[in-house]
Amino acid sequence: MDHRTDALNPAAIRIRHLSVSFANRPVLRDLSLDIPAGGLTFLLGRSGSGKTTLLRAINRLNECLPGCATCGQIELQLGATRLDAYAPSTPVEELRRRAGMVFQSPNVLPLSIARNLSLPLAVTLGLGAAECEARTEQALREVHLWNEVKNRLGAPAATLSGGQQQRLCLARTLALRPDILLLDEPTASLDFKAARQIEELLAELKLRYTLLVVSHSLSQAHRLADQVFVLHDGQRIEALPESTFRDKEALMSALDELV
Amino acid sequence: MPRGNITPSLLLFATLVSALSVLAIFGFLLWFAAPVFTGETLSSLLSWQWRPQQGEFGILPMLAGSLCLAGSAMLLAYPLGLGLCCFMHGLGPTWAARPLLGIVRGMTSVPTVVYGLVSAFLLIPLIRAGFSGSGFSWLAAGLTLAMLILPTIVLILDSQFRTIHAQTQLTAAALGFTPAQQVLRLTLPLSTRGLLVAAALGFGRAIGDTLIPLMLAGNAPLLPHSPLDPLRTLTSHIALVVATDSQSAAYGSLFACGVILFMVSLLVNLALRRLRHE
Repeated sequence: MDHRTDALNPAAIRIRHLSVSFANRPVLRDLSLDIPAGGLTFLLGRSGSGKTTLLRAINRLNECLPGCATCGQIELQLGATRLDAYAPSTPVEELRRRAGMVFQSPNVLPLSIARNLSLPLAVTLGLGAAECEARTEQALREVHLWNEVKNRLGAPAATLSGGQQQRLCLARTLALRPDILLLDEPTASLDFKAARQIEELLAELKLRYTLLVVSHSLSQAHRLADQVFVLHDGQRIEALPESTFRDKEALMSALDELV
Repeated sequence: MPRGNITPSLLLFATLVSALSVLAIFGFLLWFAAPVFTGETLSSLLSWQWRPQQGEFGILPMLAGSLCLAGSAMLLAYPLGLGLCCFMHGLGPTWAARPLLGIVRGMTSVPTVVYGLVSAFLLIPLIRAGFSGSGFSWLAAGLTLAMLILPTIVLILDSQFRTIHAQTQLTAAALGFTPAQQVLRLTLPLSTRGLLVAAALGFGRAIGDTLIPLMLAGNAPLLPHSPLDPLRTLTSHIALVVATDSQSAAYGSLFACGVILFMVSLLVNLALRRLRHE
């Protein structure tokens, strides 16, 4: 089934006939979907239904994994630019930077807290030390981590708690000033308190970015989502009406029926 | 007896046998070298003259030869190995990495004597024609030894690069790093330990090799003044004297050579242990 926005309100992410396979084993088959600009879109589904693969198809990260073959079309609205993700002329590194991703487990680089943010800024944007420092502080403030780490920016990032590491990863992505944020179960590996902090951040960030979040948490979707899609076995994607995902009971019974 | 109980005992036994063997070798060397390290013999040993007929057993030219040859082979092989690893892990096309690594792995299975033989028939005539002299020189041995130690350096670095790459690849790619930026700005700086281990093991392999200097370096017990001069290493010196003599005082000086080589190897291993702990 297609879920398409109208011509007056172009989608931030427009997916058409997307199929992805790994070592000739199909994971996604002929999916079409529009993610509207702005707000927080949740993508729900059972484990193994292809949610992460769909997310990684958007920033072409599947290509880093062996045996991946992708066909179909994905268009992204990045600022004023409309970009065909899989066009041969598309600069894949710029695409990945502007469609920033946060992973399920906090994936800090084995560097210091400050270097985790400044290295990508220096390498991918060619920024000088002063600009890197300013953006580092800004991004850490944005995720409410600055006060916790400002006195130990030189300490290894691995010394932070899981929740702090995940917020650091979010800050690292935000420092690159993306247009779209792709989040792959960002609270799955965190305890309740850390997960709640990330949720509060998502509620703030959805006012400024287009967020696409893969999640297993129905309560998160119920509390935060502006749109909810459910993916079935990589083949079928259903949009849930707002009346359904705003009502927890209705959401649960809808998922029981759909998944 | 349950298998789980006997395995640790066997492993402990194997460890003890290995450790005692190394200690026994060192003890044996020290025992036989002890008379050489005393009195006048020591001053004779630490001289630049190897004239056994005149009672001069100076091994300093051989020590210098070993260090010169191993150092120059490392100067060639280390940057080459590092470049090759960076090429395989991001600077070069993805399709080239597997065949290149296959070639390097294949190089480890070539017997040392084959390297020596091929160089004697191909490289030595080239040096002889291009420069002067017999061609058997520091240059010929250095070039060939560099080829010999290249796989050691590449395989250690490759293993380290793979570990770091596996940890950081998806993250770096998601942040917009190109493959070249990943290897140069992330993998390489994070591989300090692997870089040091490769240098230490590569040098150990170079200083310990016997056949290449024996076949190609010319074996003159003199301090070389240019890459075209012949030289003699401690290892080829031992091989040459043992092959012709087993009774004289010159024979006794070989134990001193053995102790020095053993000490170099020991220092390399201790340095490695220190690096692992850091």
